[in-house]
Amino acid sequence: IGKKVQAIYLWWHKPVINKELLQSLPNLKVIATSGVGMDHLDLKLVASFGVKMANAPHAVSSSTADAGMALLLASARRLVEAHNISISPSLEYYEAEMLGVKVAGATLGIIGMGSIGYKIALRAKAFEMNILYHNRTQRKVQEEQAVGATYCKKIDNLLQQADFVVLVVSLTPQTHKLIGKRELELMKPTATLINISRGAVVDQEALVAALRTGVIRAAALDVTCPEPLPRDHPLLKLKNVIITPHLGIKTDKATYMITEEAVENILAALNGLPLPSEVLPS
Amino acid sequence: MWYHKPVINEELLQSLPNLKVVASSGVGIDHLDLKLLFSYGVKVSNTPFIVSTDTADMGMALLLASSRRLVEGHAMAVSPDTEHFPADWLGVEVSGATLGIVGMGTIGYKVAERAKAFEMKILYHNRNQRIKEEESAVGAVYCRKIDDLLLQSDFVLLAVNLTPQTHKLIGRRELELMKPTATLINISRGMVVDQGALVEALQNKVIKAAALDVTDPEPLPRDHPLLKLKNVIITPHIGSATKKTRWVMMEEMAESIEAALADLPVPRQVL
Repeated sequence: IGKKVQAIYLWWHKPVINKELLQSLPNLKVIATSGVGMDHLDLKLVASFGVKMANAPHAVSSSTADAGMALLLASARRLVEAHNISISPSLEYYEAEMLGVKVAGATLGIIGMGSIGYKIALRAKAFEMNILYHNRTQRKVQEEQAVGATYCKKIDNLLQQADFVVLVVSLTPQTHKLIGKRELELMKPTATLINISRGAVVDQEALVAALRTGVIRAAALDVTCPEPLPRDHPLLKLKNVIITPHLGIKTDKATYMITEEAVENILAALNGLPLPSEVLPS
Repeated sequence: MWYHKPVINEELLQSLPNLKVVASSGVGIDHLDLKLLFSYGVKVSNTPFIVSTDTADMGMALLLASSRRLVEGHAMAVSPDTEHFPADWLGVEVSGATLGIVGMGTIGYKVAERAKAFEMKILYHNRNQRIKEEESAVGAVYCRKIDDLLLQSDFVLLAVNLTPQTHKLIGRRELELMKPTATLINISRGMVVDQGALVEALQNKVIKAAALDVTDPEPLPRDHPLLKLKNVIITPHIGSATKKTRWVMMEEMAESIEAALADLPVPRQVL
């Protein structure tokens, strides 16, 4: 049966693509992944077997940006805590102070200003937020002006000024543990960290320590390392943390569009045509 | 007056012969018997505009949290029973969806400004149509009949004030006009919705979900069905609950009180 397989559509990083699998599928031409992240694939290995790879960058950006904003707002306004108090069988905590942080006029620091990061900027602008961003390269002036974003060549400048820091980078050796003890200590004690990129972009132990000791105010994480976290992990117990189950692209519309993009790429590969969103090993 | 307490009735007013002013926190005045207060020569003030931005933000927070099943998702992520995240667990896309805003005052308009950035199509129903420039700025289309809005919206957000005309504005009939895939968001007053009809509609999948910052009463009795429905998010009337806004509200209330006591024009006086 292995000889018949020409394409793989990876759904949620499964099946795991390793040497054994690739050797057992001599006619494999293309692997299309359901999302934009490629950190779960050994790009060089796959390419060495002459297999093309594609992701689905266009389908994910809006829904992931929406998820980022959802987490930002939920954290700022303590939505999960508030809901739990509202439905609690006990009214003991109902009158307790439930003040959140005002979003309008606050500063948002976007780390990673690709398609998703830029869509976050578009949304945050409508909430009257001041926008700073850090990226490998600066965006064009018109793009910056359209969202009122200021470039921070040094990540430190962004961290020191932001009330909300959102991570929207792809996971690479350069972004692995990008946010560690040093970066967290640069952040304001009133600041919130939002992660919609990959768990490994953050030094998770350092994050736990920072949240416990008030080095930062709160965190909202759609991604962790691993997913899900072990059930005894300290992050699960912290009151100032919201964790969501990697739902960035999990909407009816996005999953449909992702599959459409994947099919387009697969058909192109099988017909010897250029792939719309091919990913090459760099 | 903070969070509608103390209750202002004839007894209280009679016992306070020198009462000159009642400064109420927030914008809503549905809890005040204005006729009664004015008959005792008492002035009334509120804090209308400062709450608008935070309340609009809360509306969007509830819309996003509901659509992406954020509360459910968090519960799953931290539950001691969770072993893996199911692959078929989906929410609803906000970008490109249709938002129907019922009540396009200051708060409703700010919601529209925010929703536009999510590429949402915006419909609105209001006593009066807004001017063309205001509509164009947010891409909002007027629905003179609320039914048209209800039929087309993926998200219906209530931002009206509570008056005899808006009491139970959303009842069984209105809920049945909504799409079965639609979500109701209420940041106005609990009584704008027929709560019994809402419970039935949610239980029978007449609508998909609800997210409520306001209920009737607040808090709901602990055995109320709304507390148990998985497709409902409830928050304890925190629309304006941010440190910055509450600070300004208190300053504004103090200002209004000082003016009234000095017989000067009262800022934010309710007439």
